[in-house]
Amino acid sequence: MSAGALEGVKVLDLTHHIAGPWCTKLMADYGAEVLKVERPGGDPARRMPPFFHDEVDAEKSLLFHYLNTNKRGVTLNLKDRRGVRMLKELAADADILVENFSPRVMPSLGLDFSAMHETNPALVMVSISNFGQTGPYRDYRATDIVEYALGGLMYIFGAYDREPLKHALHQAQFKAGTDAASASLIAFYHQQLSGQGQQVDVSIHECVASGLRDVVNNFTYTGAVRRRQPNHSGDLTRVRATSDGYILPNPGVSAGINWQLVVDHMGVPQLDDEKFSSASARLVNAEELGEILDTHFRTQQKAEVFHDAHRQRFIYGMIQSPEDALSDPQFEARGFFVDVDHPATGVVKHPGPPFLMNGTPWQVRRPAPTLGQDNQEVLGQQLGNSDGELSLMRALGVI
Amino acid sequence: MTDNVAPNRLAGRGAADRTRPTMAGPLAGVRIIEMGQLIAIPWAMKMLADMGAQVIRFESCQRMEGYRGDSLYKNDVEGETWNRGANFYEHNRNKLGITLDLSKAQGLDILRELIAVADVFAENFTPRVIKNFKLEYEDLRSIKPDIIMVSSTGYGYTGPWANYGATGPATEGASGLAYMTGYVDGPPVLPEIPYTDYTAGEHTVFAVMAALVHRFRTGNGQFVDVSQTQTAAVTVPEALMDYAANKRIEPRMGNGHSSMAPHGCYPCQGDDRWITIAVENDSQWQSLCRVMGQDEWAGDSRFADALSRWRNRRELDELLGKVTAEWDAIRLTHELQAAGVAAGAVLDAKDMLFNPHLKERGFYEVISHHPSTGMPPLPYASRPWKLSLTPSVDRTAGPLMGEHNRLVLSDLLGHTVDELAGWEEEGIIGYAPTNPRAVQRPSLDEQVRQGRMQRYETDFEEQVAKAYPPPQAG
Repeated sequence: MSAGALEGVKVLDLTHHIAGPWCTKLMADYGAEVLKVERPGGDPARRMPPFFHDEVDAEKSLLFHYLNTNKRGVTLNLKDRRGVRMLKELAADADILVENFSPRVMPSLGLDFSAMHETNPALVMVSISNFGQTGPYRDYRATDIVEYALGGLMYIFGAYDREPLKHALHQAQFKAGTDAASASLIAFYHQQLSGQGQQVDVSIHECVASGLRDVVNNFTYTGAVRRRQPNHSGDLTRVRATSDGYILPNPGVSAGINWQLVVDHMGVPQLDDEKFSSASARLVNAEELGEILDTHFRTQQKAEVFHDAHRQRFIYGMIQSPEDALSDPQFEARGFFVDVDHPATGVVKHPGPPFLMNGTPWQVRRPAPTLGQDNQEVLGQQLGNSDGELSLMRALGVI
Repeated sequence: MTDNVAPNRLAGRGAADRTRPTMAGPLAGVRIIEMGQLIAIPWAMKMLADMGAQVIRFESCQRMEGYRGDSLYKNDVEGETWNRGANFYEHNRNKLGITLDLSKAQGLDILRELIAVADVFAENFTPRVIKNFKLEYEDLRSIKPDIIMVSSTGYGYTGPWANYGATGPATEGASGLAYMTGYVDGPPVLPEIPYTDYTAGEHTVFAVMAALVHRFRTGNGQFVDVSQTQTAAVTVPEALMDYAANKRIEPRMGNGHSSMAPHGCYPCQGDDRWITIAVENDSQWQSLCRVMGQDEWAGDSRFADALSRWRNRRELDELLGKVTAEWDAIRLTHELQAAGVAAGAVLDAKDMLFNPHLKERGFYEVISHHPSTGMPPLPYASRPWKLSLTPSVDRTAGPLMGEHNRLVLSDLLGHTVDELAGWEEEGIIGYAPTNPRAVQRPSLDEQVRQGRMQRYETDFEEQVAKAYPPPQAG
């Protein structure tokens, strides 16, 4: 099998938690050589759920396993000058360095861009942070919910008459990781052409704010401030319960399809009524319409509704639970879930490639590293430290 | 008309290309042909255009791009509405725009000529459409052996659902993300933007770059098959792997967190004003009590440590919400952050535009529109990254319909003005939709009455122009 698209690209990975590791995982899964440097106590993501069989253990976090496939791993204490020196030795040979400390940390360790640039003028140094490396919020703290709020996505998310809502899990972190991977390669491409390295500043906050349709431009185009919409019960594209879950109907009315087609498509005779045939009539009779639609969908199975609609070219959506996703025939046909064998857990299914490349595969070549797994090989053989020196450094807490 | 044809350094075609060194970004020399619609591909190609790629976007006069007809400037449905759509401009800056009718043989021939001088062809139609036009990777490769083709589809280019059309909500639904999101004890809730279209766009930028890096090093192009559903599913591993390994599905948690409390969104002074607060540890909790003047909470055993706070989170949320309601959201944000507590006001559209942090970082960039639109220069969201050496190219607005027909077809491909005139006659190219559709939104008063808009401000033009003055000429 041929190698990944990024074969031979050397990434020095100083990241922890989610955004940074996701950035470097994307590059690693498409072929880059990624060396992950952890603090001696390990990446805090090693303590994040879910755990394999709920066994709380630094080697059994499934999230950590997922985020760190295809990376080799070493430990280094960057608060020790010997740790910093070894890091610089590693950086001298890297194409891309990625870090996601808060903005004060790298300069305080003597590892700011100018120091790294001196070590390796061709190095692309990518910093991911909550609010970027500059500006009045630079040192503000954030978790996903704060990024959603300050990023403008939360105000328009959720029920009209309730508090704004955020997505489940860690979407802002993942967005930032993907954007950082893109920016890394854009700068790397320039490095390939020019030999010049540079500094890349990725703000998680701006990753959220750069993907908003019809929000800020509603104000600049009309002076209006959009809010969470009053989702009335007769809304034809509202989420509806089925006997086994939820469906997202889309009978195409907004695209100008006439009502009779909708009536025929749904096969509900009560809908064949002037009370529902125009948008304004549907608004007036929303409650009655909502009841008819609720009753219609509640007795059906979501997959049947979904496939029936698509046979008629109505682009319905289906809300799949994780259980549904794991047995989804489309994912299966595309080989989306992959088995990854980790020494601490055995084989576990991971979500696989976001996209397929026909010439250069996405593949898992190795599972996430155990803590300090490659110290011997990288810090010892590669950097030329003897076993005795490594033992001493371990005793001194450098590794 | 601006001549911004960049040198096609890698594809090696020279004669008609002219250099504008002042605006060369890191991707100068990369030529992308975009057959995009709405968000997933247009957003991604916009990002690459910002970084210097020459993106030639073609569209159809016969089947107008949906975003040309909606969210119109000042809600004005008279005149050339198709050149005044907010979401069109939002997703298409820095691109060259031409029109082509692919249902005519000559239209497809022109497209093939473009592909012959392109590095990347990017599209987001269903495979059925691409097959009908014979625009599959194998077809393109016979024209340009090292072409990179990117298809972005709802569920992927292959598999039993390959030809299912999809919306953003549909792919968010299929990925597992929507199922996990929603208020406690409520049904799934989706955001009011096609969120996963952006997720797909983000991954597409990365995909194009990975393919370009590979081509730079080996000379080989390839086919990239982006499944919008897969790009979303890879961002919810916590849920998918918890089920795969432990057969567990966590209930929907609203704004709650699996270990932090308080962690939520709380009301503030004013109409529909809110703040989010996330307390990670005991010392932050003590800081919060101090900032908010709640000494009794600080000593309350129900909230003494992380586990107690999490167990009693509903009581805690209720107490906290009563106190935040007395505060201004922005002021409380700053006071909590100054004390080291993660907090953020829920910003609306206007708050975002005038936010001092985004302002200082230059996040919104002012772009001038073509004089024929009658629109002033306006600020638009830029990029989530800043590159120190190669920041981005000079900014031009998304193209008028057919704006660069002559530049691309004549200057680049070498066709004569007479040929172009003939094609225009035959409807192969054009400068306006054959069947314009403009969505007339209700008046702003009506939109506010219906609850769709929180408010509107009649002096918005002055406010925007003052905060975001037009770019300097030259």
